[in-house]
Amino acid sequence: MSDTSHDTPHLPGPSLWPIGFAIGVACLLLGLVISWIVAAIGAVLAITFGFLWARDVTRSVRDDVPEIEPEARAVADAPSDDTADTTPASLPTYSRTRFLEASTIGLGAAIGAIVTVPALGFMVLPSFTNLEEGKADLGPIDNFPEGTFVIASYLASPTAGEVSRRTAFVRNNGLAEGDKPSFTILYSRCVHLGCPVQPNGPIDEAAKKEVNGVELRPVLAQSFGCPCHGGLYDAEGNRQAGPPVRSMDRYTFSIKDGRLVLGELYAVGNVSGTGANAKISRYPWSTPGTHVDGVEAWLYPIVPSQVTG
Amino acid sequence: MAAKSKKDLLVANAILAPLDWVDERTGAVRGTKWFLFRNVPRDVSWAQTLGSAALTAFIVQTLTGVILAMYYEPSSSIDPITGKPIAYSSIEAITNELTLGWLVRGMHRWGASVFIILLFLHMGRVFLFGAYKYPRELTWITGVFILATGMLLGFTGYLLPWDQTAYWATVVGINLNGTAPFAGPWLAQFLAGGPEIGSDALAKWYALHMLVLPGAIIGLIGVHIYLVTRLGVSSPPWSSEEAGRERPPVQTTGTRSGLVRGGGGGD
Amino acid sequence: MARDLGELNREDFARYKDDVKKEGKPFFPRAIFHDTVMSFIVVCVITALAVIWYYDADGVKPGILGPWYTEPADPGTTDFVPRPDWYFYFLFYLLRIFKWPETVFIATVGIPTIGLMLLIGLPFYDRRRERRPLHRPVAMVAAVLTILSMAVLTWKGATAKEALGSELVTLVPKWAEEQGFADNPEAVKGAELFAQSGCLNCHTYMGQGAGNLGAPNLSEIGATNDASYFVQYLTNPAAFGNTVMGSYAYLGQENLAALGDFLAASKGTSSK
Repeated sequence: MSDTSHDTPHLPGPSLWPIGFAIGVACLLLGLVISWIVAAIGAVLAITFGFLWARDVTRSVRDDVPEIEPEARAVADAPSDDTADTTPASLPTYSRTRFLEASTIGLGAAIGAIVTVPALGFMVLPSFTNLEEGKADLGPIDNFPEGTFVIASYLASPTAGEVSRRTAFVRNNGLAEGDKPSFTILYSRCVHLGCPVQPNGPIDEAAKKEVNGVELRPVLAQSFGCPCHGGLYDAEGNRQAGPPVRSMDRYTFSIKDGRLVLGELYAVGNVSGTGANAKISRYPWSTPGTHVDGVEAWLYPIVPSQVTG
Repeated sequence: MAAKSKKDLLVANAILAPLDWVDERTGAVRGTKWFLFRNVPRDVSWAQTLGSAALTAFIVQTLTGVILAMYYEPSSSIDPITGKPIAYSSIEAITNELTLGWLVRGMHRWGASVFIILLFLHMGRVFLFGAYKYPRELTWITGVFILATGMLLGFTGYLLPWDQTAYWATVVGINLNGTAPFAGPWLAQFLAGGPEIGSDALAKWYALHMLVLPGAIIGLIGVHIYLVTRLGVSSPPWSSEEAGRERPPVQTTGTRSGLVRGGGGGD
Repeated sequence: MARDLGELNREDFARYKDDVKKEGKPFFPRAIFHDTVMSFIVVCVITALAVIWYYDADGVKPGILGPWYTEPADPGTTDFVPRPDWYFYFLFYLLRIFKWPETVFIATVGIPTIGLMLLIGLPFYDRRRERRPLHRPVAMVAAVLTILSMAVLTWKGATAKEALGSELVTLVPKWAEEQGFADNPEAVKGAELFAQSGCLNCHTYMGQGAGNLGAPNLSEIGATNDASYFVQYLTNPAAFGNTVMGSYAYLGQENLAALGDFLAASKGTSSK
């Protein structure tokens, strides 16, 4: 089973020159169509590699060239003459075998990396990059009566369409200190597992307004219930009952030309105080069901929004 | 007699020669014979048909799934004609308009439930018979993975109609994964294609449902069936004819005598 | 008998192979016949389910096997009640059982992961050779308990209801009839408010509601006081010594009056 017995140099060894020659010819033919520069390069390649190939092929008839791998060959050949039948396993061909093993594994890993790294990157990264959603304009602040929640349904990203429809519960708190308008804006998803929270109270369908694609419906509610697993929140979004792990998510907001513009979403650990005087413990937004404060928050040390901004 | 045997010979050549040709190169005929013409314990009966029944349900899922894929469109954008999401409209069309679409969709939808039920029943049977014990441990483990992959298939397929039940079940499912420590929020955001389910999510889940998970489960089923064939089906443990039962103490010398006796029986 | 488990196992299996070879029946066609019959039944059941489902339902209108599809997905909905497919009901109900924020992680990831680990590891921690069910009491008890708990969880998940306006408001006509205030439009309006305003998140009424925070059953509250008392109570529960319940003054006098009428009319089904 020893390979060394077949390894005598009667035939010319494998050579890369024919490939270079073929590329040169292909280049020459292509160049005839495209431009004479390419043709010239092709011709030079073809001639060069053709010469090298010819020299290679005719080496054995021209004269004795020295062994290419003198040391390894000598060691391998010498014992094979003596002990070929008895102990072929002990032939010291290991260095070559090892090399082939290692390079096979190495090349395989390189192939794997070249193929899978971009593919995996493309699979994973779009979910974490370029996530900028447009700032939703909910219309004039006069549409939000003081002290009452309004269910605002809007498109977070008009280009993405209905899949980006979001609902916020907006309450105008009147003017805070320094005559700045104050709003409490809660996100409609339960912070347990993301179900659509319902306001507990009659919705005034008669007062429904549609302001450039944003649907506004006032609702007489001071609490919110989740239809899935029994979560219950008060008017500040604090948990009253059930499994929610934090207070309801809130939006930052800004007032531009008398219009209410939603900013980014953030997670809330707890709210003390109410309305304009609320003290909010604010954290970067995270998936529903993940704690943002307390000991359990250690389970989620880095969340995507901390990295992607 | 001679003429008939000559005719037989011709027929046999016409049929068997190509089979031989294939078998010589692939071993396929020997493999099929190995699978079909083996012995099973004589007390094997209805309880042991649940696995093959689950396989049948899975084949139904594969066939109907492939056909549904020819008509379904995984897009959450709004179809300008119907004013509804494209995926939803294509499900409506499959159910209401395309000839026999309702039947194929219904079979795929209910085949999923039947498949899951049969997997659970099959697992219960194996547990009751103690059939997961030596040497069938790996058969059991591949079976557990088949069950898990089957449930993932059900879960990913549930989103595809893009209706309210589908959407919100998926939201909860994604956020369930999101509560896993450390990597959970990242996994959730990957599955949703953003902080919330985005416009790419439906196609992503469709790819999982019809390319990734079926590939995984088909591989697992192949290994599972190979192991079952190689190791044999176990008898009901209470059967008086149980294969491998303890014998009266005539043959107390154990394995060695068993092997000798077995060799003698074979001759 | 100093032979180890591995040796005994190999002996058992050698004997099994031997028995199957000598006493067994051919898989084809003696066993595969059973398989084929079973597969035939399976295919028939699947087709029958598909046919029943199609002919019993109509679009979003459900039959006994549910609708063809529900309304198109609306990520901004405020009145939809999500439910999973039936084989996830056990997990769904598990999530409702663990209703403390500190335990969410146990139900979402903990229990399913432990369950999966126990299933995968089964052949490695149950290493006895014994296969007869009656001689494996621990395994059988564990199996029965697992099946029972899965069945109960699935059943509870399938029948789970929420004390939510969108579901409760459909019960108002039934309440009106049983409590006998169907001819009183103010009380009916009050009942709708009662259903929508989250009262049943804490209270119970006619078998509905959560029973949180020690809130009483209101089915027969009308026997205790009159409408004006209830309006005052709702406006400021603290004045009546109730510091748990918040004020409902935000609903406005008109709505409170309707609620008062409704509560006063709720004298219980027996007094009708």
